[in-house]
Amino acid sequence: MSQPQKILIIGIAGGLAQMTARLILTEHPDWEILGIDSRDIAKVPPLKGLTSLELKYSRGNFENLFRTHQFDVVYHLGRISHSSNTQNVLAKRIELSVMGTNRILELCERSAVKKVIILSTFHVYGALPDNSIFLKEDAPLRASLRHPELRDVVEMDQICTNWMWKNQNSISTVVLRPCNIIGTQIHNAMTRFLAGPIALSPADYNPFFQFIHEFDMAHVLYKSLKDVPTGTYNVAGDDFIALREALSVIGTRGIPFPIVLAGGLNSALKRLNIDVPDYLLDYLKFSCLISNHELQKHLGPNFLRFSIKEALEMIKLR
Amino acid sequence: MSTNEQHWFLNPEDDAKITEVFATLRERYKNYKDPWGFNIDLCESALRKLMPLYRSYFKVRVFGKEHVQDKPYLIVGNHTGQIPLDGMLVTMAFALDISPPRILRAMVERFLAQLPFLGDLTAQTGSILGDRANCEYLIDHGESILVFPEGVRGISKNTPDYYKLASFSQGFYRIALQKKTPILPICVIGAEEMFPLVFHAKKIASMLKIPSLPLSANLLPLPSPIDIYIGKEIPIPEHMTADSSDKEIKERVFHIENTVKKMIVQGLANRRPFFDSIRRPVSKFLIKEFRSKSST
Repeated sequence: MSQPQKILIIGIAGGLAQMTARLILTEHPDWEILGIDSRDIAKVPPLKGLTSLELKYSRGNFENLFRTHQFDVVYHLGRISHSSNTQNVLAKRIELSVMGTNRILELCERSAVKKVIILSTFHVYGALPDNSIFLKEDAPLRASLRHPELRDVVEMDQICTNWMWKNQNSISTVVLRPCNIIGTQIHNAMTRFLAGPIALSPADYNPFFQFIHEFDMAHVLYKSLKDVPTGTYNVAGDDFIALREALSVIGTRGIPFPIVLAGGLNSALKRLNIDVPDYLLDYLKFSCLISNHELQKHLGPNFLRFSIKEALEMIKLR
Repeated sequence: MSTNEQHWFLNPEDDAKITEVFATLRERYKNYKDPWGFNIDLCESALRKLMPLYRSYFKVRVFGKEHVQDKPYLIVGNHTGQIPLDGMLVTMAFALDISPPRILRAMVERFLAQLPFLGDLTAQTGSILGDRANCEYLIDHGESILVFPEGVRGISKNTPDYYKLASFSQGFYRIALQKKTPILPICVIGAEEMFPLVFHAKKIASMLKIPSLPLSANLLPLPSPIDIYIGKEIPIPEHMTADSSDKEIKERVFHIENTVKKMIVQGLANRRPFFDSIRRPVSKFLIKEFRSKSST
């Protein structure tokens, strides 16, 4: 991949996509990146080699894009966050994450893209009391068993992996399932939970978590271009941390609360239009730790720069 | 870090023993971080509190200590009593009366892992969900696993079935084959009588989504004297693998089951009378009273 490449990054309004673009262009100033997003792109910082475009993810728009550019690499980082579950958002998520992904993959196949890198999530495994320790990539995706509203998350992952094996001879595809990504530019539910001034700290459970700093995640996305062959990979470090310890590392004041009562409290909050995703409560009860052995085979044993504690301490900079 | 707790009910020898055991265990676990939350300080604190139960209430005796070597085992035994205190007593025996000491990692039922407070507490004291990947991970880290292959059937027996072994499940043997870990058979005598069964609340258990709810007349366990027998190690045959046929595995598991059965028969023949633990202190007291009255 030494020749100049043309790269499409879907979801460029996100902090992670911007960091990945910066890493690629720092290493390869002669490469071209087109970043698209359905969200406002005004805040995307100008970068030599990066063209940003605000675009609705409709079939016509996508087709035009692939007709006018010959992309070598497509980064699909545009999965809509599943941290809100209102009916409208749910419908939008299914439209974007499931239908949209299908559309993107179809166009990648048609226009002979060489490499596709897709950002999924470890939430596909689900936080269940009978989870084995360090789930491998072939573990069943059980997130939607308890929470049907996570259907789109699981379905998108399955669409991608099926497509990946179907096209493995012609297109190199990497599906990444990272653990909790945290950082100052990430606005996911876990970062908001940890970085708030106070947080509900389960009194009755103390699950273990894995965290990866946003910079490390961007680095893994960049390395996936050259060093990671077709396959599905969990992304996490070797270390893990108990929730109460994580809160004390950040300095967030944890208010002990029996999380078994949180379901009822959450239903009451929903009536007040305060939406805390139910699935997140399961993560405050049961561990969902993932194995990183597969990715280590390609990126080496110490592919992360920041330890969990360093990543957590950097959240304070928000 | 030692907990340095002082307990009035702990005699100085037991106190010193626990301190010595946990100094060894801390050395063993100094570079190990447990993904289930195993907490050595909590274990020490719990052991100090439970020691009088172990030594004076249940008067635990351990036979066959010489069969245990310094290596990981799958420790397989009979499951008895309506509340599985046998697991706790076996774990204490391996920490206090076996050298080098170890904290056994007991495999527990799935429903226990999801209970608030209790799930966390059992994890912190070393229990893990009975899952193949979990066991393999621990064996790789040099831990010994305590398995009761009778499962819930073992602790919800009717009175006429006390000490009758329910058939063993086979999963543990495939783990042993996968990791080439020897089996150490054990049997516990005395735990069946702790909670004499009154009623199996099957409907309530099903409503509560728990595997079993045997109800007993006594809320606290009766002071039944406990004997723990440790058998000779059963090695893993070289020619077998984790993918060996069910028939082969069944034969081996049947052999282990029979070994435990024989140990139960021998154990029952040597058991101490149940009322001894009550009778002796009471008769001692009465004799003392009688003597003091007769002297005056």
